[in-house]
Amino acid sequence: MGDRPLRVAMGVLTVVGLLIAGYLTYIHYRGIQPLCFAHGGCERVQASSYAKLAGVPVALLGLAGYAALAGTLALRNESARLAGVLITVVGVGFSGYLTYRELFTIHAICQWCVASAVVMTVLCVLSVLRYLRA
Amino acid sequence: MASRREQKEQARAQREATERRDVAAAQRARRLRTLGAVLALAVVVVIVAIVVSSGGSTKKGLSSGSKAGAVTAAVSAELQGIPQAGTRLGQPGAPVTMDYYGDLQCPVCAAFTTGALATAISREVRGGKLQVVYRSLQTATQSPQVFAEQQTAALAAGRQDRLWQFAELFYRQQGEEGSGYVTPDFIAGVARQTPGLDLGAWSAARARPALRAQLAADAAAARRVGATGTPTLVVHGPKGTRQLSGDPPYATLAKAIAAVAG
Repeated sequence: MGDRPLRVAMGVLTVVGLLIAGYLTYIHYRGIQPLCFAHGGCERVQASSYAKLAGVPVALLGLAGYAALAGTLALRNESARLAGVLITVVGVGFSGYLTYRELFTIHAICQWCVASAVVMTVLCVLSVLRYLRA
Repeated sequence: MASRREQKEQARAQREATERRDVAAAQRARRLRTLGAVLALAVVVVIVAIVVSSGGSTKKGLSSGSKAGAVTAAVSAELQGIPQAGTRLGQPGAPVTMDYYGDLQCPVCAAFTTGALATAISREVRGGKLQVVYRSLQTATQSPQVFAEQQTAALAAGRQDRLWQFAELFYRQQGEEGSGYVTPDFIAGVARQTPGLDLGAWSAARARPALRAQLAADAAAARRVGATGTPTLVVHGPKGTRQLSGDPPYATLAKAIAAVAG
């Protein structure tokens, strides 16, 4: 797969991630509850202390991460590709930690968080490929 | 047989191909080294984030000795002189009422209670503009049985008009999330810390069916207003109703109170 198809695929996934994180950030600041298909899962996760990192909602951190990733996709140099790898590896690592907390501490799953974790994982694989194949 | 010139060209082509391969191999090796360094940096960033996240959630649970005295003193100072009746905090004639749907194990409720609510209590509640009614909604507590035990313990304190002291003490001494820290001993410990609570009467009141009925009524009220998370705040007054959830800053809460006040 060449650079262009990789960038297009990453662009689409980044938009999906931006929509998820944007929605969660919006409802956080508007003080409304998320649409949730798993009964009680999102509410319990939102009521958890793990919903924030140093006082900042993790949804906002995710939004910032996806926005930064979109910025790296707009550039074609090696530094931008490397920054994309850094952002997505950090994203996967922290998403994995939060999923662990959901499963083993909060005992509830928020499907929005899982969706974002999956998107970030695929983005991580693509960003590493993009860096190595350039 | 190749001419001398052709042999030279072949040798040059081979040399150039070898050089290209070497350059590509060197580039690949450099990229892999850089990738390794970036991965190491990412691991460090994730570890720092995890330490910050875990550190923020580390709670010690019920205090003892001078620490317990300090917590109780802070709660007493906050609620001193404010009328209470059952689940209500504030003057019964206050024009604005806020239904506070909470779960005593919910960390976000604890943050709200010690943050924006504390400010609202010192201003709007103390000033006679707002009364707050505590309602139970299970979110953070995993076990329905534990939820019923802890919430009816608070309601039983409310029978002596001390629900708010009990709830504040509980919120301020939450244990680590998901650790199962809410035991009969924990609940009894919070009750012992609650200033002026008659423990015998409190213990007897906990078994009253009316308290379980109150939990069911709160759950039904939550469904009616569409409250699914905690805290959910339903602020209503002469000019209508505003609903907030999560841990809104005081300014947002004050705005909602002002919007519905007459």
